Amino acid sequence: MACQPRSNWQQLATEYGFHFHTMYGQPYWDESAYYQFTLKQVEQDIEDPTAELHQMCLHVVDKVINSEALMQRFQIPQQHWDFVAESWRQQSPSLYSRLDLVYDGKHPAKLLENNADTPTSLYETGFWQWLWLEQQVNAGKLSRGADQFNSLQEKLVNRFAALKHQYGFHHIHFSCCQDSVEDRGTVQYLQDCASTAGVSAPFLYIEEIGLGDTGYFTDLADDAITHCFKLYPWEFMLRESFGDALSGAEVEWLEPAWKAVLSNKALLPMLWQEFENHPNLLPAFFEDDPLRPRHGKWIKKPLFSREGANISLIDDSQKAVPLSDGPYGEEGFIYQQFHSLPQYEGNYVLIGSWLVNDEPAGMSIREDSSVITQDLSRYLPHIIL
Amino acid sequence: MSHTQKRSKHIALHSMRKAFSLKPLAVGIATVFLSACGEDRDASKIYVSVDDCKQDNPDAVGQCQAAFESAIEEHNRTAPRFNSQNDCEYEFGNERCQYVQSQSGSFFMPFMAGFIVSRLMQPSPYYSQPLYTSFSPYSPFRSRWVTSNGYVFDGDIRRRSYYAPSSVYKPKPTVNRTINRGGFGSTVRAKSSWGSSSKSSGWGG
Repeated sequence: MACQPRSNWQQLATEYGFHFHTMYGQPYWDESAYYQFTLKQVEQDIEDPTAELHQMCLHVVDKVINSEALMQRFQIPQQHWDFVAESWRQQSPSLYSRLDLVYDGKHPAKLLENNADTPTSLYETGFWQWLWLEQQVNAGKLSRGADQFNSLQEKLVNRFAALKHQYGFHHIHFSCCQDSVEDRGTVQYLQDCASTAGVSAPFLYIEEIGLGDTGYFTDLADDAITHCFKLYPWEFMLRESFGDALSGAEVEWLEPAWKAVLSNKALLPMLWQEFENHPNLLPAFFEDDPLRPRHGKWIKKPLFSREGANISLIDDSQKAVPLSDGPYGEEGFIYQQFHSLPQYEGNYVLIGSWLVNDEPAGMSIREDSSVITQDLSRYLPHIIL
Repeated sequence: MSHTQKRSKHIALHSMRKAFSLKPLAVGIATVFLSACGEDRDASKIYVSVDDCKQDNPDAVGQCQAAFESAIEEHNRTAPRFNSQNDCEYEFGNERCQYVQSQSGSFFMPFMAGFIVSRLMQPSPYYSQPLYTSFSPYSPFRSRWVTSNGYVFDGDIRRRSYYAPSSVYKPKPTVNRTINRGGFGSTVRAKSSWGSSSKSSGWGG
């Protein structure tokens, strides 16, 4: 639906600290249009499948954790098997994740991937599109009956309160890597949610984390880090030089180390193996699987790809057409059946469906003029009416 | 309508504004206000001196002495540390800080203002932790009890008995010094250098 942007939205963005609405000279937040869903579509086609897919994913984690062969398949470095498995066995609590879904409004949504470790576009979803709806309704531009699938901020604050009261997360260090305004914005938003829940939430960059003489990780004041949120992938941390200190450092991490299994593309063939023909799954196979069909259209993805990097399209003649380049792929590939994103007025649309812990918590929509949703796609708000 | 609402019911907009808000001042230790649910809790008592404890527990003077000594030991190990007297006094109040010189360097730290104990009269091991309070008008724990790992008890310093969550007694890890930094984050630098089309150095997805 086309829609009149709020005349002062850029000024508002400055006021609220939304600094990455325009990136690399191209618009990222786009409120010249919005997507409209029915409540039934949201609840039956997005919310319920999201909860179910998440439980299916947890089933796979349990299976992988208990199998050395699968830990190998998932490229978890062998010296960290115990560390990752221990975080699962001790039921280390999680915070949030985002499932990327293909959904055309009519057919069952299909899971493309699970961003369980370091999902972004959180602030735009939880706060910024919420504010847009609130203001458009108050300005009379949208019906009073308009709602939004977006209890993200409320659930995040409640989750931080639960982490504090039930798991001892009173003082959490928040961290991300230097030089990314977007990541810093996401982490600042989580710090704000944690503070609202009465958790103290200092920040330091991931590069600034130190290792103390007694084996604990330290902040810049040389204080031990006991609880830490990191917007930085486990598959990197396990392989970097402080990786070997992880098991002795006794940090309660958010996300917990078992998310290394979930954010891995090997999850997709495992899901298909465990829940073949589930309506919300696309067929997916490991590259070396003899059962992998050698016909039809497939998307070939590296195990550790991010932001849609290093993806190829395998066409009907089984020729690989690179769709994006990038630094990934040395860890192996998986094949997922090609399923075109729905197109509206020339734009491909991808749904992000959010969970806080294991509860569905909201939805985000990104549009791209190319078939792979990359980091520079546009974010559009949605309503339920 | 409200019972089926799918979006957050209320967001405090003033707390989301960034442009004109003051940056929070650095605080030496964390501010956490306890509330009364969640974790397992122990009936706990706060004493301002070893005699205070002995008077309250005439049958357990030995335990009082031991609890006090273990609190002092924890205090020396885990009290918040500051590089300057100014910073320490800003947090805890004038003349509420001591200068310490040790193997790991010299610094300022607040005086221990009391200690909290639980299970003093039980056969199971009792717990004891040092407590601090602030006389500074700038501090969020002015006239409150706070532990070295950042708990601020609700109620003011005159309140002496609490049901404290067990994590209050969890010892704070000791660090004497940081050996090195920069052991996380190297993959970003390596992967960010690929191709001219690289647009983002963030690793969120």
